[in-house]
Amino acid sequence: MNQSAALHDHLPAELESKPYKQNRWKKNFWGFMFLIPALIIFIMFMWVPIFKGFLYSFYTVDFVKGNTFVGMDNYARALTDPDVLIAVKNTLYYMLLCMVIGFWVPIAFAIAISELRKFGGFVRVAAYLPYVMPAVVLYGLWRWLYDPVGPINAVIGSTGAEQIAFLTDTRWSMISLVFMETWQQFGSGMLIYLAAVLSIPRDWYEAAEIDGAGVWARIRHITLPSLRNLILLMLILQVIATSQGYQSQMALLDGGPNNATLTYALLIVKYAFTRLDYGTATALGMLMFVVLGGLGIVQFKLNKEDN
Amino acid sequence: MKSADRGILSEHDLKKTSNRVVYGIMVFFILLMIFSMLYPILMTMFNGLKSNVEVNSFPPHFFPQEWHFANLKDALDYIDLPMFLRNTLYIFAGNMVATLVVLGLAAFSISRMNVPYRKVFYFFFLMTLFIPATSYMIPNFVNLKELGLLNQYAAFWLPAGANTFFFLLLKNFFDGIHPEILEAARIDGASEPRSFFTIAVPLSIPIFATLAIFIFSTAWNDWFWPSLVMHSEDKYTLATAIYKYVINVKALNTNIKFAILFLVSLPPILVFLIFQKFIMRGVSLSAVKG
Repeated sequence: MNQSAALHDHLPAELESKPYKQNRWKKNFWGFMFLIPALIIFIMFMWVPIFKGFLYSFYTVDFVKGNTFVGMDNYARALTDPDVLIAVKNTLYYMLLCMVIGFWVPIAFAIAISELRKFGGFVRVAAYLPYVMPAVVLYGLWRWLYDPVGPINAVIGSTGAEQIAFLTDTRWSMISLVFMETWQQFGSGMLIYLAAVLSIPRDWYEAAEIDGAGVWARIRHITLPSLRNLILLMLILQVIATSQGYQSQMALLDGGPNNATLTYALLIVKYAFTRLDYGTATALGMLMFVVLGGLGIVQFKLNKEDN
Repeated sequence: MKSADRGILSEHDLKKTSNRVVYGIMVFFILLMIFSMLYPILMTMFNGLKSNVEVNSFPPHFFPQEWHFANLKDALDYIDLPMFLRNTLYIFAGNMVATLVVLGLAAFSISRMNVPYRKVFYFFFLMTLFIPATSYMIPNFVNLKELGLLNQYAAFWLPAGANTFFFLLLKNFFDGIHPEILEAARIDGASEPRSFFTIAVPLSIPIFATLAIFIFSTAWNDWFWPSLVMHSEDKYTLATAIYKYVINVKALNTNIKFAILFLVSLPPILVFLIFQKFIMRGVSLSAVKG
């Protein structure tokens, strides 16, 4: 309140008469009042569940008879369940596929689309459109596209090749899911990269060209290094997101065929809502937290650098 | 200088044959991408207007041979879309209010009111970002059950006020408001709630519009969480109802299925096409959310 002396002339009479300390308290009173709803809501719906997650991982949760303390039993069950090993492997496989099939696609298209002289707006809209469609529509649609008598197999059939059971063949099911998700989501990543590609000063390319750098050299030494931080950030975001993926695996295949798409997060869901073993499900969640917790901090650090 | 209207390639580059070939291949892949984006979406629409025999014929046709607009009526007879739509809009509206009031006030307080210990409060909100959502999904459900909130809209509305990502967006936006405006209001004797609702909120229409789009798409898309929290049919959201009664039902004719899917994807597509400039600008913000 350094200016208060200067402003003194303009202050209404009622404020003038109050002592400084009371004014200050009044100001902070509303500041705290504004924070209180959010504090209560965050405690009730964020911190309490997080704390309960830690607590209940040592309990058998029973809504009727009450919870019983069982020590490390839930963890022991989680670590000896052969399904957990399968789920971890599937999750790693899923993350790898998302990287190999999906990660580079938005970068490549962002660079390509930035080079279009015309129709750039239309292309952006078209690429983003699937992202707007509700996930449930996607599931219905792609189940039909992947069908043995669907359009993709019609194309494969017309070339004379053997048809592929995209969803029911254990070798294909996860790949099919990743392909579907890439189709839906790359538009959003592409727009983020595109903004970054377009913000690179054009003069740099001009200068490089004058120095004799070819097109590939310009992409390799100017475009990609400029995107470096963003690529790293998107990579971590993707790792965080894919390590927790379960929705399309659940909706399309329920973890099958033969557990081929049973991811770790899906196993948590199944422990809770199929086996009704909430204790073990929370224990699995805690194990996930221990493994993933560090990644969030890395993401935050990168985000700060980026800004 | 000419440098403004060049990209990685310059006019000069495009005179070389090898570059032209590469450019041609690039355009080809973009066209292929556009085709693969639009074909399935248009197929959803056309399949919903075909006869059931035609939908199941192999190989599939693109345009319907006969147009069956009656499918849309059958779709509405099969599933009570208006009711599920109403439920979805309830959740959207309540979440919007909770975000505006709970997070708006808190972000305003931290950003513009100079409260003591605000770093501590800020950190208290921010910390939750580092905890992967799936790891406390089950305790979250158990918590709602223990609070007696299951099967109630409050189970969506109240937790909507605990969104760290939206909190950060709001705080960053408020940080950009000139403090002089608020200081002037204070000097003129406006109370803090009044300066929030009559000055900060109107100035923040852009960020609230962006949040409205995020909240709308969550309410419209999320099928899994509502299917856990709501267990009576008359409270399902659109996405949950579609998942339960359309996607996994074998007895339903494929053409009617597609007619329903088309009806459900139409509103978000229209919203997107109308507000596209605005939405695409908001996308870069979602990079923080992941």
